[in-house]
Amino acid sequence: MSEKDQRVKVALVSCGSEFAGVQPQLDSAAEQVNAQLIYPEMDISSLDTIEMEFGLQVASADLKLMMARAKAVVEGTAHVDGVFVTSCFRCAEAAIVRNEVRRYIHQNSEIPVISYSFTERTTAATLLTRMEALTTIARRRHLLAREKQSGITVGLDSGSTTTKAAVMRDNKLIGEGWVPTVNVIESARKAYDIALEQSGIKEEDVQAIGTTGYGRFLLGEHFNAQLVQEEITVNSKGAVYLADTQKGPATVIDIGGMDNKAISVEDGIPGMFTMGGICAGASGRFLDMTAKRLGVEITELGKLAVKGMHDKVEMNSYCIVFGIQSLVNSLAQGSAAQDVAAAACHSVVEQIFEQQLQEVEVKEPLILVGGSSLIEGVPKALGDLLKIDVVVPPHSQLIGAIGAALLASGYVEE
Amino acid sequence: MTKVFIYPTNSLILSDLIERFGHTPLAMMEGVHDKITTIGIDSPPLNITPEDPKYGLKYAAVEVPAGVRGRMSIVGPLIDKAEAAIIVDDAAISFGCMGCARTNELTKFLTRDKDIPVLELVYPYSDAEGKDFVYKIGEFLNSLPKEEQS
Amino acid sequence: MTIHEDGTLTKLVVISSDSVLPIDAALEIYESETNITIKETCFGTMVTGPEDTVNKVVKEVVEMDKNHIFVKERGFPPGDDRRCRAGRGGGPRPGFHFLRNEIGMLPIIGKALDDYDNNVPLEKVIRPEKLKVSHLKDIIKSEITR
Repeated sequence: MSEKDQRVKVALVSCGSEFAGVQPQLDSAAEQVNAQLIYPEMDISSLDTIEMEFGLQVASADLKLMMARAKAVVEGTAHVDGVFVTSCFRCAEAAIVRNEVRRYIHQNSEIPVISYSFTERTTAATLLTRMEALTTIARRRHLLAREKQSGITVGLDSGSTTTKAAVMRDNKLIGEGWVPTVNVIESARKAYDIALEQSGIKEEDVQAIGTTGYGRFLLGEHFNAQLVQEEITVNSKGAVYLADTQKGPATVIDIGGMDNKAISVEDGIPGMFTMGGICAGASGRFLDMTAKRLGVEITELGKLAVKGMHDKVEMNSYCIVFGIQSLVNSLAQGSAAQDVAAAACHSVVEQIFEQQLQEVEVKEPLILVGGSSLIEGVPKALGDLLKIDVVVPPHSQLIGAIGAALLASGYVEE
Repeated sequence: MTKVFIYPTNSLILSDLIERFGHTPLAMMEGVHDKITTIGIDSPPLNITPEDPKYGLKYAAVEVPAGVRGRMSIVGPLIDKAEAAIIVDDAAISFGCMGCARTNELTKFLTRDKDIPVLELVYPYSDAEGKDFVYKIGEFLNSLPKEEQS
Repeated sequence: MTIHEDGTLTKLVVISSDSVLPIDAALEIYESETNITIKETCFGTMVTGPEDTVNKVVKEVVEMDKNHIFVKERGFPPGDDRRCRAGRGGGPRPGFHFLRNEIGMLPIIGKALDDYDNNVPLEKVIRPEKLKVSHLKDIIKSEITR
């Protein structure tokens, strides 16, 4: 892939990654996406004035260094293609600076920036998705500019819980497949076959394939995909495409089976984003368990939830075990099923608010995607909590597959 | 010769003065050096591996950020070896090894908490302050045993 | 004493002298020994070689103007890939900024060391204390009534 050969420079803006045992992981993640981490060149004298320029005084001198480096990046003293802002998890002082630095770069430059807080246990694999998204934005702006799907392309999204396939032709979805993920390749094959059959297209007529999700590398190799892309970029693009809001700002929230993403998007290009979640209690998995406990199909849970009142049941799924405990307790105390369903949706949304949206600006439209968006109680709870209208675009559960098919069509002409 | 722990742990001035007055500075450079020359570990640039923040648990609980514990895994053993200490405070310029205020608070606390002679000063910014600084350090260092301590 | 893997040691020599230039020091080192490498940087001269030789040479250099030439050890040998900005790209490593600040203070330290050697008595340094609240009140009053 020609773009991969293009080495990108990523400014490492951190107050201590090299002291925390995480530096080799950062270097390794960067290396895998052919990026080089550098300490940005900067004007030394700015260290004396940077605190007042930012209006942020700090006790740790290396945080001044973070601000000064950010300034060097914005003002072009340092020539970099992207910025990775990172500090220790559980450090309040650094978290304040990290967020402000990210916002500052985001507002004052076109340079993609991501931020992350690490522990000594953070692995290169965890960092890879973020680094990949960062370098993609730096490297493939032209690809991200694509607003229409063309030719015959396929997107395969290998998620932690389900595998999705989408077959598209001339900007239309003509086949879809959605199966539980068991074996990455077999499940993708199954979903792909279902989608092909529905579309009436023969596999040999497919012009380009894009893969995304946890199993993207394996699938990319197996299916000879033209595009292998992490889900931040793919889902941002897919969401604004499906919601028909390709220009201007948007916020994408993806509630997955295992983790969640909140992405701030501008003209279809992801800016700030957060990924993860402390526990599956904040994900679709908790809703799945709630449905099982209530003895309803997951597809029915949403309709039930819309009829219920969440505040009649006390539920906090910060941790999935505690979440299930409150689920069991409330049912034992005779709570109505619809109230429990509403409380479960509310709790999942509350976790997203507390864990993800604290770091991402919520700009309208707010587009909710991923399987959980089909559970009506979830968009309702999110809208109630944030006091804004939540957009759930058609085929929102296929977001990754459609995004990948759309982006892959950039390779059709080649 | 007395082993004198210095704070800032990577100070040129303190390291120089301690040697000048005939003692042994215990400085970050030594700790860093031990780290980077440990054979079989390849964790650049400082060879701090995910194991180090765990060694740092000796000095700070797990709720303390990894960067603090990682730094403490180098600084802590130096404090353990110290027979005396000089602490010079100026947070504004403490970059790099000294760049984290939380680590610095803990370092100073552990040093003061130890039953050893400690001299505390601030960095000089004028000739008069400089003189005061050097004289105090000179007197302090001259008061420490020059013979090898057992 | 921190000896490198290969038995060598690195010391950083910083010149803050009116009479000795960094180049004089470099020449002194080159002339005295052959098994030593030196690297001039923007903030001082790094001397690497066998422990005894480095110590001897550095001592000789310091003797050129003993109160105005400062020395510290360095954990990394010069040009170490893990630390060198050429290898890591971009700007200086964080520790550089601290060193830069300390180097700015060396003239003050050098002068004080001269005085110490010459037994110049120490005058009491008066650092301004925090203003007493009562005094501040008086100032406010007099300013307002003006």
